[in-house]
Amino acid sequence: MILTDPSQKAEYRNVWALAEVLSGQVQPVTYELIGASRALADAKGSEVWAVLLGAGTAGQADSLFAYGADKVLLVDDPRLAGFSDEWEAGVLERLMRKYKPDVLLGAATARGRALMPRVAVKANCGLTADCTQLGIDPENGDLLQTRPAFGGNILATIRCSSHRPQLATVRPRVMKALAPDSGRKGEVIREELLDTDAKKTKRIVETFQDKETVVNLGHAQIIVSGGRGVKGPKGFDLLRAFANKVGAAVGASRAAIDSGWISYAHQIGQTGQTVQTRVYIACGISGQIQHLVGMQSSDTIIAIDKNPNTPMMQLADIAIVGDLFEVIPEIIKEIDKV
Amino acid sequence: MKEHIGKKLYQVELGPPKQDTEKLLEDLELFRQKYDRVMDSGYVVGITDNAMGLMAFQGHETIQELGLRVIPEQVMIHLNTFHTKGNLHEILDACRDMGIRYLLVVSGDGSDRLPKLQPDDLGFAGVVEAVTAVELIEYIHREYPGVFEIGAAFNPYEPAEHEFEKLERKLKAGATFVITQPIIEQNAVVDEMLKRFPGLTVFVEAWMSKRISLLSEAVGYEIPEDTAFDPIETLKSLHRLYPNCGVYLSLLGFKTQYHLLHDTWA
Amino acid sequence: MKIVVCIKQVPASSDAKIDPETKRIIREGMKAVLNPFDTYAVEEAVQLRNRFGGEVIVLSMGPEKAAHSLREAISVGADRAVLLSDRAFGGSDTWATSYALAKAVEKIGGVDLVICGKQAVDGDTAQVGPGIAAHLDWVQATYVLKVEDASETGIRVRRMNEDGYDVCEVDFPAVLTVLKDINRPRVPTLKGSLAALREEIPVWKPADIGAELEKIGLDGSPTRVVKTAPPPPRNTVTRVLEGTPAESVRELVKDLRTRGIL
Repeated sequence: MILTDPSQKAEYRNVWALAEVLSGQVQPVTYELIGASRALADAKGSEVWAVLLGAGTAGQADSLFAYGADKVLLVDDPRLAGFSDEWEAGVLERLMRKYKPDVLLGAATARGRALMPRVAVKANCGLTADCTQLGIDPENGDLLQTRPAFGGNILATIRCSSHRPQLATVRPRVMKALAPDSGRKGEVIREELLDTDAKKTKRIVETFQDKETVVNLGHAQIIVSGGRGVKGPKGFDLLRAFANKVGAAVGASRAAIDSGWISYAHQIGQTGQTVQTRVYIACGISGQIQHLVGMQSSDTIIAIDKNPNTPMMQLADIAIVGDLFEVIPEIIKEIDKV
Repeated sequence: MKEHIGKKLYQVELGPPKQDTEKLLEDLELFRQKYDRVMDSGYVVGITDNAMGLMAFQGHETIQELGLRVIPEQVMIHLNTFHTKGNLHEILDACRDMGIRYLLVVSGDGSDRLPKLQPDDLGFAGVVEAVTAVELIEYIHREYPGVFEIGAAFNPYEPAEHEFEKLERKLKAGATFVITQPIIEQNAVVDEMLKRFPGLTVFVEAWMSKRISLLSEAVGYEIPEDTAFDPIETLKSLHRLYPNCGVYLSLLGFKTQYHLLHDTWA
Repeated sequence: MKIVVCIKQVPASSDAKIDPETKRIIREGMKAVLNPFDTYAVEEAVQLRNRFGGEVIVLSMGPEKAAHSLREAISVGADRAVLLSDRAFGGSDTWATSYALAKAVEKIGGVDLVICGKQAVDGDTAQVGPGIAAHLDWVQATYVLKVEDASETGIRVRRMNEDGYDVCEVDFPAVLTVLKDINRPRVPTLKGSLAALREEIPVWKPADIGAELEKIGLDGSPTRVVKTAPPPPRNTVTRVLEGTPAESVRELVKDLRTRGIL
């Protein structure tokens, strides 16, 4: 909604976190969104509302309180069972007009990135994708939204001072969830889905869980990742063998994906997934910025490359100068000894 | 190709216009001029196939579209493994019909826009996991018997024994000449290759750009940006070092270097 | 089937250079290319057109030189192109961009399907596709992996989500955004590219599409970039292991033990 006068900002209060629900389950990224919302709400002395849209998900409201929500705005309707962007955008727009939140945060997932732009257009407000940092401008209360742009070469800070609410999406594992407190309680506000919330909708015929389509790198403790230096699909076989030995997931840089050596689902970086893993082992990855932004907040980075001067070798905690085709078998041998 | 070495005829690399060029007509005109110049001097033109995985138009369609003359002894088309089967046959049919005899078959560099030939496409299902130059050479000889004389690449910067073994297989598949990766001085692996494969027709590649740092990726170590490099002097030294080899010129400057070639191969 | 494909011309990412003084992207002299994700949208539209007949119109908003990317789409099978180009469109964020494109889709008229690439590689927002759907109030299916079936009146697609995919049916008119998995875009031939060079591409101004001036360009954009900065460096001391593979790995294992990782 357009503000005709800055004084109207005061009418918009509270920070909303849109729960990410997948197959009827609230996803961990939701708690991260609530954590980020908590910080923003505390800075403004307002409340955190978790917005839970789903079918039969009402019982999961408790966990939202435990992770820091003050209120849960609940819409429970069979028509929200699958992911129907049209219904969800319609009901969200109507509720935003009714309750006037200051901020709405959503997950930058396939679902959030489909829904949030639809909401932003319908409600006539600004939206910033993939924020890595959120803050409140102490002077005017605006949300300062920082996101990587141009393949991660720069960080852009974006504001939206003439429209409310302010919408942003955040990738999983970028923000931190608070420690849950099961004693924390709050108020559940129930709202109905109205027939008028969407004019036309899609029909969701079937839903499949498919591990081949989506390689979930996000939950891996260790990632073994390969780039141009892996030289081909056979090289990735070596990486897979290595990954199996240490219980790691296999990632790849865009160079490897573009060469057709491994599927897109493995891509880490600006146009792939963002990971924040305990140990990241980069094999033959030079470390273009577009890749680095997707993995550089990992705890420990090990790089293996013939060339000691690549950005990745300089970023790493441990840089092994050598041929990955010699070094990796050596590591496997060492592990077998132990 | 052996007779080209005897006659001291260079191979000159040319790239067709890039797919994303913003001045296609100018690029085509420039290609025409360079091509004609190579034909006029009796040298061999080597036309690249999406070099470095960068999308470019194909050699055969460029020749056809521009109506360029094809002198069979002087045209060599590069062919890599990043094609559909249909596209591969389109290229080979066109080359045969235009009377092109020489092919340089390489594994090549892919990109997300380029399809890759699958073992099944060439009748190697269950035999190999991925199509390399070896399978492609064998396939072309099988499908187009007696039509083409095929060359293969040799990379002295890879582990040597592995490369020798690959070369062995390429020759067995029907390659009759070899072009190396660019070398700028005496190279022990090339020397060893010449010793192990006596009588083989070998062209060493001469890097004709002053920007020697661009070679870093090929050689596997970093060549500093500001390294001084004299391509013409290096070319002359390659002739002294490898008197029995031909020379393949990449990144040749047509304005600044071409006229100097008449006395580099003394 | 009348299909509009929305495309964007983007800087060739490998050329992205940062001005060390201003920390801003140097756009001058940067090569511009068709957004790679959009090539899949064009290919899917061409395949549907080949099956059902009709027309593929490529649409873009950008400077005059974006016509080059529209021609690229024509060279691989699109029937015609429209370019939205005017100073008044400049500075548009995704809200204003999707508004202008939606107005152009309305102006083209009788459109069954709008197809967009997943996202543009320069902005990476993935917001314009759903934005167009919202402005038109059409049904949307995003992150489409595969077209399972189609008819004159609708389409059935596989839509990717975080743990798999669903199959959904949408009636026309609708908006799709498509992933790389959906097809293998054909490569332009020289003959096709030369023919595309001869194609006339109409340039539409805000008045041509009936766009309200306060909804386009910078004025129509809710968001503002207020600051750009280089990403903060990772604060680490690199330990370089340069021995033989065996030596390096022994050191690595020792090191990982001290760090408490092994």
